[in-house]
Amino acid sequence: MTAGPPVLSVDDLRVTYPGPPELRALDGVSLQVSAGECLAVLGESGSGKSTLARVLLGVAADARVEGTVRLGESDLQGLNEKGWRAVRWRRIALAPQSTASLNPVLRVGLQLAEPQQVHLGRSRSDSDARSVEALGQVGLGDWAVDRYPSQLSGGQKRQVLLALALVCDPDVIVLDEPTSGLDPVVRNQVIATLSQLVRTDGRALVLLGHDVEAMAALADRVAVLYRGWVAETGPATRVLRQPRAPFTWALLNARPTLASLKELRGIRDGLASPDAAQLAAGCPFVDRCTQAVDACSTERPGLAAPEGEDGQRLVACLRGGLVTILRARDLHKSYRVGRHRSDAAVDGVSLAVRHGEVVGVVGATGAGKSTLAALLVGLLPPDQGTVCLDGQDLAAIGPADLRRARRRIQLLFQDPFEALSPRLTIGDAVREPLDVQKDGDPHWREERVRIEFSAVRLPTDASFLARRSHELSGGQLQRVALARALVLDPQLLVADEPFSMLDPSEQANLLQLLKRLQVERGMAMVLVSHDLAVVMRTADRILVLDRGRVVEEGTGTELLISPQHPVTRSLLAAAGRDRVFAGFTAPESPER
Amino acid sequence: MTVAVVVVGLFALPRAMPGDPIDSLARSGGGEITDPRIHAQLQAYYGLNRPLVAQFFHHLANLSRGDLGFSISQRQPVGHLIAARLPWTLLLAGTALVFSTLFSFFAGIAAGWRRGSRRDQALIAVTSATAAVPVYALATVLLITLAIVWPVFPLSGARTPFVQGGTPFTTAVDVARHLALPATALTLSLAGANFLLVRSSVVSGLGQDYLVLARAKGLPERLLKHRHAGRNALLPYLTVVGIQVGFALGGAIFVESVFAYPGMGSLILEAVRARDYPVLDASLLVLAMVALTANLAVDLLYQRLDPRVESWEGVAVSRRPRPAPMTPSVDR
Repeated sequence: MTAGPPVLSVDDLRVTYPGPPELRALDGVSLQVSAGECLAVLGESGSGKSTLARVLLGVAADARVEGTVRLGESDLQGLNEKGWRAVRWRRIALAPQSTASLNPVLRVGLQLAEPQQVHLGRSRSDSDARSVEALGQVGLGDWAVDRYPSQLSGGQKRQVLLALALVCDPDVIVLDEPTSGLDPVVRNQVIATLSQLVRTDGRALVLLGHDVEAMAALADRVAVLYRGWVAETGPATRVLRQPRAPFTWALLNARPTLASLKELRGIRDGLASPDAAQLAAGCPFVDRCTQAVDACSTERPGLAAPEGEDGQRLVACLRGGLVTILRARDLHKSYRVGRHRSDAAVDGVSLAVRHGEVVGVVGATGAGKSTLAALLVGLLPPDQGTVCLDGQDLAAIGPADLRRARRRIQLLFQDPFEALSPRLTIGDAVREPLDVQKDGDPHWREERVRIEFSAVRLPTDASFLARRSHELSGGQLQRVALARALVLDPQLLVADEPFSMLDPSEQANLLQLLKRLQVERGMAMVLVSHDLAVVMRTADRILVLDRGRVVEEGTGTELLISPQHPVTRSLLAAAGRDRVFAGFTAPESPER
Repeated sequence: MTVAVVVVGLFALPRAMPGDPIDSLARSGGGEITDPRIHAQLQAYYGLNRPLVAQFFHHLANLSRGDLGFSISQRQPVGHLIAARLPWTLLLAGTALVFSTLFSFFAGIAAGWRRGSRRDQALIAVTSATAAVPVYALATVLLITLAIVWPVFPLSGARTPFVQGGTPFTTAVDVARHLALPATALTLSLAGANFLLVRSSVVSGLGQDYLVLARAKGLPERLLKHRHAGRNALLPYLTVVGIQVGFALGGAIFVESVFAYPGMGSLILEAVRARDYPVLDASLLVLAMVALTANLAVDLLYQRLDPRVESWEGVAVSRRPRPAPMTPSVDR
């Protein structure tokens, strides 16, 4: 991956579409790509990818472009139309995303031949020969040259656009979503062709899009674009496997895989409108970020190497990339059984939970799950080991700090009857944490309680709030308990078997509700349960606990497809895996 | 179907006018038929006393034999009259149509391509004006300025009268000089709407993805303008031009009467004055047929030119894209 001098380099590119209101499509983007290298630009729709593509070809119509774009030795900014014509297609070509980019009334053959005739002086028949070759490279037959675009399917049009980008053999090829809309067979062929272009022919590729699989296969480096701002950049494998920027992590986490068990949720919507955030001073991602602090809304982060990185990867985040909200190190807890014997309930567990992440903890009854939950929230003191919340050791801080920490981490119990005092009305029960923390005035607290009741889809009228716990069903009561846990707006919720007492329908409702609230509020969550099926639908990452130890860790998909530990397999069997995957046995592996 | 409606309509319309050909004939001779018996006799002679339906079927039978009837006022076969007049009208309308079509197309592309430029604004102002003024007023203005005030062009007719012999070249120049003013009037009146149509379809194409890509391909301006923008504007334009054949013929009738141009327009005008039913029937029918044929021709041309018109059934039979073979196939 030692690349030569960049063939295309973009420095501090700012592109503004004239308003009103003005729209800043790209805001200080810097990128380089060398010959024989593929740079992927990963971003959501609307992140400025297509604008970047247009700017690189000098066709960003009425946009105001600042910064420098260099192609080899020449500076492209400030070229006139004539100068651009000499560069376009001969040195840099584009495969645009829109299939409406083919002229509907001209045959494909003519549209492929045009640039060859104009730039390379090829005859029409020579051009056609090259066109047919390029069409073949992207999986289309020579019949396509006689077609009008309307006689091709959407995928075939995309193939034609790709072939078009190849016909003049340019140094740099910009591909805007090259693989979207292609069937898997053609897609793989396109990836193989592109790969050959980079590795064998030494072309430079700029791959714009959100097809992570294609990027993983093709790209050497990845730049992650969010609203025209580079959130992270670095070697492709590292950025795609272990993202460090909050946006990259959230984007990759919302991505479906073949066997996605998890209920997918997009990144939570921002509060501010995109245009406003565009020109605002702070981090563009601040309103959707789960780990934002006050400074994030006033200070725009620049790219910097995060802790523990060698400088190849850069992350733009004031907090230095993804932050672990809860880190437990080597937790031990034993209960005395009799006079001389003690039973280790939790025996050396370490775990880390990032902001906004859902970590599932599964295990059979008696595996130490509830003890672990109690240790994490500080209800029990550990015999050994530490629990740090945002880097603060909960055991080592003073009572005032502890109280502040407590409000950021909440526990949802298995049995709401036990958790809610029968002497309090449910309204009072939910308000109690606010009273304890002395938040706001009484009027504000009442309002807050109503907000939480409505958030968990319960009635908010006074008569309902005045009910007591025995007057409610189990499902309603668990919602009240959830409202109580959420009223302080915690950053981490530890839920201990929250659904086990509910019927399947109520459980499904509450599961969806919990997941939605978790995403909307940007909470991290530790979900403890013996029911693997439930945890798999909710958690980003799962820990399997057995006799107080973590025996296996992975995503739900990984655990389902290749469970390593016998305990995992038995939990899977209990959840009915073997009936679903009849005749499929996981590869046996030695126990860890 | 269209033809049937046209035939019935054209038969009914002249007969719905007040007056009758016999009276007109007599008046043109300076007298008046006071004896109702003579009137009836003449009516019987021309077959005008029979019920309208019977007259219609007689007319239809004649048409089917290719017989267009016999003029009451001019006492010769209608076919001969039309044969003498139609070429002039076709020349006038055709010339105007060709010039207005070409002018509108290229001016429309030029104006739309540089939208908002001086040239664009000037063209819009001029063409809007000529499109808004009635064609006979336009013709009269041209007549007064260029034939009377500055007698650059001849005042009336299609050829200088009493000129015998002359080389084909001098004849052609003579015809062209007589044609110039009427054709200009008609061209100007047709060009206005066409220009605006081409211009607006070019403008709406300006930001389209295919033009962005064509520009990104580094194609020279003329290719972008004429091949990519022009071809797309051409197609909707063609349909309008087909419809315009009818307008051109209608306009020609007015223009001919202003310039006393010996075409179908003058013939029809004379026939209206004389209530000459056979002439009216036949000449209007001929003009309608010309317009319909032109429309059909344009439709056929459009199908050839626009790949998108092709029916899906047609694609299924003959040119459905085959699944992409992994090796280039040879069955083109």
